[in-house]
Formats: sequence, structure tokens, C-alpha cells
Amino acid sequence: MTRPRTLLVDDPVLERSPFGSSHPFRAERGALTRALLEACGALHQDEVADVERLDERLLGAVHEQAYLEALIRAGRGERVDDARMFGLGTSDCPVVPGMHRVAMRAADATVSAAELVASGAAQRAVHLTGGLHHAHRARASGFCLVNDLALAIEHLTRRRGLRVAYVDVDVHHGDGVQGIFWERADVLTVSVHQSGRTLFPGTGAEDEIGAGAGRGFAVNLPLAPFIDDAGYLAAFDALVPTALSAFGPDVIVLQAGADAHWRDPLAQLSLSGDGLDAVYGRVIDLAERCCEGRMVVTGGGGYDAWRSVPRAWARLWARLAERELPDELPETWRRAWGERLGVSLPTRLREGTLPDLDARATERAASHALAVAKRVAARLTPLWRRED
Amino acid sequence: MLVRDVMTVNVIAIGPEMPIRDVAALMEMRRVRHFPILEDDEQGEARLVGIVSDRDLRAVDSPHPSARPDVHVSDPVRSIMVTPVATAHPDDAAEDVAAWLREYRVGALPVLDGEQLVGIVSPPDLLAALALPAAIREPSSVLEVEVGNRPGCLAALLQTLAQHGLNVSQLTTTRAEPEIGCFIVRVNTIDAPRVAGNLTREGWTVLWPEPDAAPPASPQRGPEVEEVA
Ligand SMILES: [Zn+2]
Repeated sequence: MTRPRTLLVDDPVLERSPFGSSHPFRAERGALTRALLEACGALHQDEVADVERLDERLLGAVHEQAYLEALIRAGRGERVDDARMFGLGTSDCPVVPGMHRVAMRAADATVSAAELVASGAAQRAVHLTGGLHHAHRARASGFCLVNDLALAIEHLTRRRGLRVAYVDVDVHHGDGVQGIFWERADVLTVSVHQSGRTLFPGTGAEDEIGAGAGRGFAVNLPLAPFIDDAGYLAAFDALVPTALSAFGPDVIVLQAGADAHWRDPLAQLSLSGDGLDAVYGRVIDLAERCCEGRMVVTGGGGYDAWRSVPRAWARLWARLAERELPDELPETWRRAWGERLGVSLPTRLREGTLPDLDARATERAASHALAVAKRVAARLTPLWRRED
Repeated sequence: MLVRDVMTVNVIAIGPEMPIRDVAALMEMRRVRHFPILEDDEQGEARLVGIVSDRDLRAVDSPHPSARPDVHVSDPVRSIMVTPVATAHPDDAAEDVAAWLREYRVGALPVLDGEQLVGIVSPPDLLAALALPAAIREPSSVLEVEVGNRPGCLAALLQTLAQHGLNVSQLTTTRAEPEIGCFIVRVNTIDAPRVAGNLTREGWTVLWPEPDAAPPASPQRGPEVEEVA
């Protein structure tokens, strides 16, 4: 029997948001996407893998003990005096009973996905409710408590001895992951995002390149608001492929946030559904070229939660698992999940409405992005040269 | 911001008798563009007597119109140094020094505390200092809000943000007109459109980001009905 090449890691707990149901971070997006794939016949029972329990020591390698203690105590409803110092009890990361357990389950799931790929059980493994890239060593931030991506990367590098290229196409800068691997040369972090001058968290400028042994191993491509598909892809192509092939990863970890979509209410880029799909496709192609297709993939941001996100991530899975999806989305899925969420779900896979672009703004954003991409590539290329 | 906070303190000074050719070599080696020149006075105290720049050195024995035919690279640097020297004090404001550099048309000012040379300040020092307010201090979103140019208006904005549980980590102003000022605040949330929406509903004019259209979230509220594409 041949093993499926692509596996989805999932667990019922992952449907819950650590912050409860009135918070904008919608954990149901993963289950909604999974249900859509099942309804389309694009995901089979034997392609779903269970979540394995996380090794506590891994947690300690990524997060500071004081932060973990504060998180657990806050989640247990105990008083934490310096909660705000750890980014807890803020409007983004309110203290909710049990939040630490949900967050750690999500981290378990991404590490499980990493291990499936490292062990060869899968070529690609996906965890849709992961991708919590804003969690720092000692600080919760931007809806993220535990940095599942950093844990997975730590597992792949330190335990499995693999070189990891992290590619983050969430519209927000992947600040937590970048910070945690800032001085590491065995992890290349690449983040393509809306510039910090106009968007949270503010970092991700092109001159952030890593430090010490890791100098040159943090790559940032900040983009101006309103950039469209063509502008984004041209800038991406001018920088990311060169970086990845120079680095030569054993595996790519992709944070596939869907919030660069034009409908996303939290950000201002103008990518279409087809554009996002093309971005995901680019990274998958790069994995084929650089590391025999090995990929650990997570979801991430995406706040047009019931409309753009399930479509984007269903298409992502279809690419990873090499499936075809019908353009007409199953009525059974629309009815069941529409009722459950109290929303009306899209009827088609491809969006009927495209962004209303201001030609001058998109053109300026594109021209600037290409210049930035070329500058970063020119500056970092000498640093990527490996001595072998 | 004061000069003492931005100046370069590891300043290399030379004596007035050093031959110009040696000064040029030293400047090349130390990768600087200016040397303050010190000479002992009658009491044996080192005093600032001049300054020489890379441009002054390059003019010597060159066809440049400002080159003096009577000076050669073997002469002491005293013969070309600029004197008296425009200087700054450690407690001068960095903003003032930026203006003086343009006004005096010089590339650096030695910093004197009394008679003692304690540093040198040049455009790169000032640029680094002036860029500092833009550096990101904590994960935050940017809001651009119009605020009345009257006592209490800015305080009211900050008060409103505090009531929404937000911490302001940075505050800058982009313009101030007779009636209206415009402030950029960085607040510790990823959900800036929601904050912009709340501010707008409370009567503020928010220029960035575009406010969300949703009414304020209530815990009972289910997800909004979405338009079908
Ligand atoms: Zn995001």
C-alpha cells in the first residue's frame, strides 16, 4: 500500500478558538474548509492524521518559562499580575478559561504535521488552524499565544537535523517566527507582507536581515497597500526563488494566511482568490524544485472568514493533494455549515467579484515592490553563498 | 534629543604639525571624514585649534580652483585647517545642530564641554537619531486620526483609546493646521479597522485605516450575514 502523499492533521478541539466565539479569530475556518473538501470528495478519511502530544521540552526551547507559566495560570483562571507584560489580557489576546489548552493543541498539531513529513510518512502535511506567527518568545500578540510554527521548525531542525525554509505569505509580517530564529543560519525565514508602515505589527522592513550567525537568513518583502496579483507575483518572483535555491532547504514550512485577499477586513492588499492560489502554487513549485516537495503547511490569518478563506484553503489543499475541485460548491456543505455559522456561504469556488482597483495606486505599489525585492536580493545574495 | 545622546564619542583628534599626506592616510585608514585638531596651550592643556575635512585634504596639490599653490602634501596640516572652529555643546538640541550644519555648510561639528573635546556630531549621527521615533517599539497597528487643534482634543483621543483597552506606544504628528491637527498613533492591536470603526462611530475622523462597517461587537452576536459572491 502506498501512503497518501499529503495528509491533513486535525482534531475536534481545533475547531474552538482559544478566545471564544465572539473574537475575530475564527478557528472554525479549518473545519469549514475540511467539510468543504469532504463534500467535494477531495479529502478522504485515510488522509486525515491525528494530533500527537507535544513534548514539553520543545515548548521550553521556543518560549520563555515565565511566559508559559503566565499563560497557563491565566488560562486556569488564576491571577497573573504582570499579564499585560506578556501581552495577555489585551483586546487581541483576552484571557479566556482554557485558552492555553486550545493553543497548545494547535501547536501539537503543527508539530505533528512536521513529524509526519520528517519521518517520511507524508510528503506534505497540513494543519489549517495553525500558523500563529505573531507569538513571541515571551509575549502573546495579534491573536497568537503559542508559536506552533516555531515549535515545528525547532523540531525539524534540532531533532531531525533538517534545514528549514519558512515562507510566510500572511498579509502581516511573521514577526514571532523571525524573532525566534533571528540568529540562526539553519532556518531561513521569508516573509512577504503589507508594510509595517501601514499594518500590524509594524516590523518586517527590508533592512531586517537577521543577526550574528543568522545574518542574511531573515528575508523581508514589505508591500505597499493596494498591490494586486501581478505586482505581488512579480516582486515575489524577483526575490523568493533565488533565496530558496541559494539556501537549499530540506523542507519548506509555509504559513498560508489568506488575509492578503482584497476582501480581508484587517488589511489593505488587493489580491484576488486566483492571486492567492497562484502564490500558494509558487511555493509548492519551489518545494518541488528545492526539497523534493517536502512541505509543512499551516493556515494563518484570514478574516473574511466564511467567504474568501474556505475557498482559498480548499484550493491550497487541492494543489497539495493534486485534486480537482468543482466550481459549483456542494449544496449540502452550504446548507449545513451556513446554518451552523448563521451565514450564507459562497456558491462558487472562484469569486464572482474582483477588487475595484485604483490603477495608479496598484501600479505604484507594484513598481515599488519590485524595486524592494531586487534591492533585498542584491544585498543578501552574497550572504547566502554557502561555503561548500 | 540632545547632542550628548547622538554624538560619536570615540573621536580621533590629531596635532597641527602632522604632514598633510599622513593625515590623508590616517583618514583613509580610520574611515572618517573629519579630524579635530588639538594643540597644547601654555598650561599644557589640549585645546581645539582647528578642523580638517577630507575635502580640504583632497584639494591639496590638485587642479581644483580652491587649491592653494603654496601648500603641498608635505606641509603640516596647520596650513590648511579651518579655524576658528564651529562647535556644539553636549546639551545643545540635536534638531538645532541639524540646522547649523546646513547654515555653516560644514560636515561635522566637534562637541566641546568647556574646553574639552568630548565628541563629534555629523549627519549620520543626526539621521539615526531622527529616525528613532519611527522605530517600532512593540507589535502595533497604525491609526491616523484628525484631532482638533485645541486644548484637550488630543487628550480626549488618548482617553478614548484607553477606554477601548488599548496601549499607545507611539505618537507622532504629520500636520497641524489652525483648526485641525493630524496624529499618527500606534496601538497594540492587530484589529485596527475595528478601532477605526469604533472611533468613527464616536465622532472622530479616521484617515487610516478604513473603518470597518460593522456595529460594535456584542458577545451575543453571531457572525454577520455575508454577501454571496
Ligand atoms: Zn495575518
